[in-house]
Amino acid sequence: MNNNEEKISSIGRSLLNRRGFMKNAGFSTGALGLAQLLSKDGLFGSDDPTNFTGKSPIRPNLDPDNPYTPRDPHFETEANQVLIIFCPGAVSHVDTFDYKPDLTKYHGQKPPGMPAVTFEGPSGNIAKPFWDFKPRGKSGKMISELVPHLGALADDFCFVHSLHTQTSAHPQGENFLNTGFTMEGFPSFGSWATYALGSENEELPAFVAINDPRGPARSGKNNFGNGFLPAAFQGTDFNAKNPPANLARPASYTSADDRSTVSLLQRLNGFHLEKYPGDADLAARIASYELAGKMQTSIPEVMDISNEPVSIKKEYGLESGTDLKKEYAKNCILARRLLEKGVRVVQLFNGSDPSGGNGITNWDSHSNIDKTHAMQAEIMDQPTAALISDMKRRGLLKNTLVVWCTEFGRMPFLQGNGTGRDHNPDAFTCFFAGAGVKKGYSYGESDNFGFKSVKGRSSVYDFNATILHLMGLDHERLSYYHNGLERRLTNVHGHVIKQVLA
Amino acid sequence: MTFKKFANLLCLVIFIQDFSFANVNFEDDILPLFEDYCIDCHGPDKQKSGFRVDRRVHLLKGGDSGLPAVIPMNPGKSYMIEVIKSDDPEIGMPPKGGKLFDDEVELLEQWIAKGAVWPGQMEDKIEEGTDHWAFQSVERPAIPQKSDNPIDAFLNRRLEEEGIPVNKKTDPLSLIRRASMVLTGLPPQPSRVADFLVDYKENSEQAYTVLVDELLASPHFGERWAQHWLDVIRWAETNGSESNLYRKLAWVYRDYVIRVFNQDVPYDEFIRQQLAGDGMGVGEALGFLVAGPHVPAATVGQEPSAIRQARADRMDEIMQTVGASMLGVTMSCARCHNHKFDPISIQDYYSMTAVFQDIEFGSRFPEFSEEHPRKTKANEIWKDIARNRSKIRKKTTTWEEDWGGYKEVHWKPLEVVGLRLNFWSGYVGLDEVEIFGLPAENINLANASNGTKVKTDFAFAQQGDRFPVTRVIDGKYGTQRWQASYIKEKKQNPWLEFTFEKPVKVGRLRMSSNREYYFETDYLEQKNKFNFDKFLVNVKLVDGSWEEIASIQKIRDFMKREKSAGDAVGEINHLAYKLSEEGPRPSFVGNFIQPKITHVLHRGSPENPRDIVPPAAPKILSGDLGVDNTASGRARRAEFAEWMVGKKNPLTARVMANRIWQHVFGAGLVVTGGDFGRAGAPPSHPELLDWIATEFSNPSRPEGTPWSMKELIRIFVTSDAFQRSNQPSDIGLEKDATSSLLWRFPPRRVEAEVIRDGILLASGKLNRKMGGRSYRIHNIKKTYAQWEVLNNFGPETWRRMIYQERMRRVDDQIFTAFDFPDCGQVRAKRPVSTTPLQALNLMNSDFVVDQAKHLATRAMNESNANLKASVIRVFELIFSRKPMKEELNASLQIAKDRGLEIVCRALINSNEYAFLP
Repeated sequence: MNNNEEKISSIGRSLLNRRGFMKNAGFSTGALGLAQLLSKDGLFGSDDPTNFTGKSPIRPNLDPDNPYTPRDPHFETEANQVLIIFCPGAVSHVDTFDYKPDLTKYHGQKPPGMPAVTFEGPSGNIAKPFWDFKPRGKSGKMISELVPHLGALADDFCFVHSLHTQTSAHPQGENFLNTGFTMEGFPSFGSWATYALGSENEELPAFVAINDPRGPARSGKNNFGNGFLPAAFQGTDFNAKNPPANLARPASYTSADDRSTVSLLQRLNGFHLEKYPGDADLAARIASYELAGKMQTSIPEVMDISNEPVSIKKEYGLESGTDLKKEYAKNCILARRLLEKGVRVVQLFNGSDPSGGNGITNWDSHSNIDKTHAMQAEIMDQPTAALISDMKRRGLLKNTLVVWCTEFGRMPFLQGNGTGRDHNPDAFTCFFAGAGVKKGYSYGESDNFGFKSVKGRSSVYDFNATILHLMGLDHERLSYYHNGLERRLTNVHGHVIKQVLA
Repeated sequence: MTFKKFANLLCLVIFIQDFSFANVNFEDDILPLFEDYCIDCHGPDKQKSGFRVDRRVHLLKGGDSGLPAVIPMNPGKSYMIEVIKSDDPEIGMPPKGGKLFDDEVELLEQWIAKGAVWPGQMEDKIEEGTDHWAFQSVERPAIPQKSDNPIDAFLNRRLEEEGIPVNKKTDPLSLIRRASMVLTGLPPQPSRVADFLVDYKENSEQAYTVLVDELLASPHFGERWAQHWLDVIRWAETNGSESNLYRKLAWVYRDYVIRVFNQDVPYDEFIRQQLAGDGMGVGEALGFLVAGPHVPAATVGQEPSAIRQARADRMDEIMQTVGASMLGVTMSCARCHNHKFDPISIQDYYSMTAVFQDIEFGSRFPEFSEEHPRKTKANEIWKDIARNRSKIRKKTTTWEEDWGGYKEVHWKPLEVVGLRLNFWSGYVGLDEVEIFGLPAENINLANASNGTKVKTDFAFAQQGDRFPVTRVIDGKYGTQRWQASYIKEKKQNPWLEFTFEKPVKVGRLRMSSNREYYFETDYLEQKNKFNFDKFLVNVKLVDGSWEEIASIQKIRDFMKREKSAGDAVGEINHLAYKLSEEGPRPSFVGNFIQPKITHVLHRGSPENPRDIVPPAAPKILSGDLGVDNTASGRARRAEFAEWMVGKKNPLTARVMANRIWQHVFGAGLVVTGGDFGRAGAPPSHPELLDWIATEFSNPSRPEGTPWSMKELIRIFVTSDAFQRSNQPSDIGLEKDATSSLLWRFPPRRVEAEVIRDGILLASGKLNRKMGGRSYRIHNIKKTYAQWEVLNNFGPETWRRMIYQERMRRVDDQIFTAFDFPDCGQVRAKRPVSTTPLQALNLMNSDFVVDQAKHLATRAMNESNANLKASVIRVFELIFSRKPMKEELNASLQIAKDRGLEIVCRALINSNEYAFLP
């Protein structure tokens, strides 16, 4: 299929342009959003369709022809795009951003009042950070030598040190952070955001998931799936190396074959549409082929980073370090290019499932953390920092929220093996940057050992509520009717962490 | 009684005495506390957490937590006392303004201890009940007017009231396509269309009746309708979660559901079988209960609280399945607190979990009746195995068989008191050794419970007592096994010695390294391996002497020499595989555990168990099952099944009749088919819903079969409503935009399966083989890796899509985009979306490119290679009709310029193909 001039028959075009007609004729559609239909036709229960917290849902006004048309947020906000950098495997907060001098003081001692058995088994002694911490920027924020490039940007970041989660298992942790539920099958954050807001760029997918060069994370597609939301809002996964499946014209066809297919298809659909004047579902499907044709041009264009200046490639780390770092750096450049084009949600993964073994494919450093975390940081630090600085230079941070996150933290003490840190669901650190958040600010605290979040304790629900809020969405009112419930990203929980708002 | 105990008792008496003298006055002491601390949030104006303190009955009932706030005479168990004492900011009350003073708390405690006297309200009771329509019993409504089909009478009355004229009958071509796709998921074959058009002209009614009969009798009917049921319960062949492991032979449940629909097993029986089929000879039907995802124990971690939480999560998956599919109630809401919308309490939730306490996610040998198709098949295979064994016996008495998961050694039975295994390999790993003999062939004489002892040299142990030898006779398969290796000092390979309690006759030995792995999962790179090779079997005779009865080396040498015996062994090994595909073998349809006593878990937390509850269905629907916590798991489930299909439960018939309606007409009379509660939609035609529900469960037709799904479907598809044209009309659209009143047959895009299966049917490549192992599209993977689609278009995939292996949350890279569920959450209704990715998949995927070619080849072959005729043929194969003149001209031109397959590709992508006519 190709993006050629003569796309849609005249009757198709007139129907695609028939918003006015719909209003006048009271026409509706069966295609999108059961909830929308229900509310329109008064099919909801006699009670108001209120959700658990008693607030009435705000239903996005979906255009039946095109589910991606941009929609207004619930309230005005700076951020209209979001970049989520997700580091699967659990980054050790006490070795990166959460400075705990007591770990050095009590190094080698038995942890007082901490559990004898954690996720993987018996616990060992307290271990000081494996990397030195230094004050950074004007704020003097203490950040370790593991992530010096990110450290240099400390004045742009807004840390949350008091996060805690519900599980110490990775897949459930990934699910919880990305979908608000530890169980599977719930819509991901990106899916919710595009359901609510549509997209600014119809020629690219509204929500792109850039998987790590090593493959998808443990929860796979669940991290960017649409759950029970319409498939229109699933994340489309591709990265700098692999385009989306079935994007390219099949090798056995010529471009003339494609043009012929499309022109015959238009005629057949045109004849068919004459029998069903005004059918929005049919018109929407015709339009989707037009969009698909545009994507065949626009996605390869955005993936092609060959024309990026050498300085940029160098800054992102494309010219030094390991191959994995270079691959990830390309993904970072792709992320920026997608955001520049107006893609609503970009989710960038730094780590994959653990099929390669302990700490080799992601941040899950149960053993030899000094080496395995160092290996992950080498890949993540410079390219990620370059991406954020580059976005800042280009003014992208004015309207884009950046979220750096991981599913939980790691323990202040070592495991029985004496070389790695086990999972810590009770304290971990994530940070924000860009639109709508404070700069050079840290919120919340974990205890002296980084074992438990104590001050400004914030749940993953709070974290997600805050991201939605920054996108101009009320997490209590953004809901979708599914199987008896007004479902939300934050279930029945969550408070916006107001302290981080600029 | 010792003096000390006596003294304690005395104190207690005095203490109680002391209370009785305390003078707590409700109006002066207690009411002001409620007014000061509670009433703003828990009074007539606001009832936070569903709780109010303004009447005594409300205190006795409590709020959403499900715990009584006040239990007269028992302040210790009264939740109100717990929350006012609690320091937990999430629980503690009041939430602001500081805690109650100690003397105030004491006053409340004393008041409760004295019986919580509230003058004038002591006799008040709360009427437990609901006026919600769905919980009221189903009454058969009168049919409004004369009509051939009662559902038309109900529908037409409403349309008349609304002033919407009904559409005329659709054309016969659309009718046969519509009926075929709705009933079998496949478009009709061109020859059948031609016959139908002729018959229809002659006698339309008869032609249609014959067609409907034929479609309902087609084996493809079950394949189509089983999928609807599998959607609701999110059935898949993997666990989900981190490693997303394959569930071996889980598909026996899928085949069972197809059989149920094809044989028209009545719905009440379908329910009984899925809840308690282990007692009915259809054990695989319990696959229903474990259809949802689960987190396997191995990935939960070592923390005991995490292990308890994981079990509670698995129970909740069962609750979701039962709730959404059979009850149409969202049970899960009541896991942490009373249901916000429906009269389901937290006690109801945990009582219902008590029904399923014996179920765990895993594999077992399904219980099959003698008539069960897999049992009959197995009997044939067993006969073959026996035949081959007697062939071997003609040559020798000892031989070795490979059963995939374990190895079996046979010899001539003899009486022994001990048995010894000497391994030839330096490393041995065994999860179980079983020894069989006489009198009963299936009693494992080696099992420790039969008094057998096992010993070995401790020096073989690899890591101290980490892999104890007793594991080989503990009756448990899996990673909990014995591991041993060569002793350097003694130059000795591992050995095992069994001592029987008394002399026994033994003749067969069965050994495995990890049988659980073999039984429970598949398609992993780490293939099932035997961590042992050759060995000797010696037995200790009753007189104390030792005798060698089998040597694997000698057996193998012998089999090489004696070809007929060797071939027979090979045949048995093959039959063992065949048995696992076609007979009763351990299948992922759930296994049984000892049911634990069920507690209400306060706020849903397994760390906070409260009152014990008996197995029961929801109280509001008279859910007392007459069983308690001593009842067997099966008895609990069987009683629950009887309640489910019984008269006390009005939901079952309504929910299923509505679901069948939904799949015929596109939307249910209750559009929220998985939720009949207050948060769901009310029925668009309440009387019609009740009429179809009663006609379903208790037919008025003299020849009717209660709960027959096919008969209900027949009523629906023979209605005028089903046969109406789907043409839009101005007045119809204005008054009923979604066509939910059925003035026309509502158009809808067909499901992923219909698109895919129809392409295969048109190209002539559809392999109609039913059932069995799913066709593979994914790789063989590492345990913790993701499944990857390897080949989703090759010849081995040319079966109906219901047989495509279903890995949870994996995108098949073509049809998942068409709203095919990811099997993570229950799905009463698929959403329908239209996306550019669908277009890309249908234009460019290998599957479509390949099938377009096959379709073109078929059309050419069937038209004597005449291009014009072959274009016409493509239209017949894809659209069931001939092209119009303009269509023919346009298509022919492109066929000439670019080839016929380009025409095929365009037709496959067309709207006409993707929509139900």
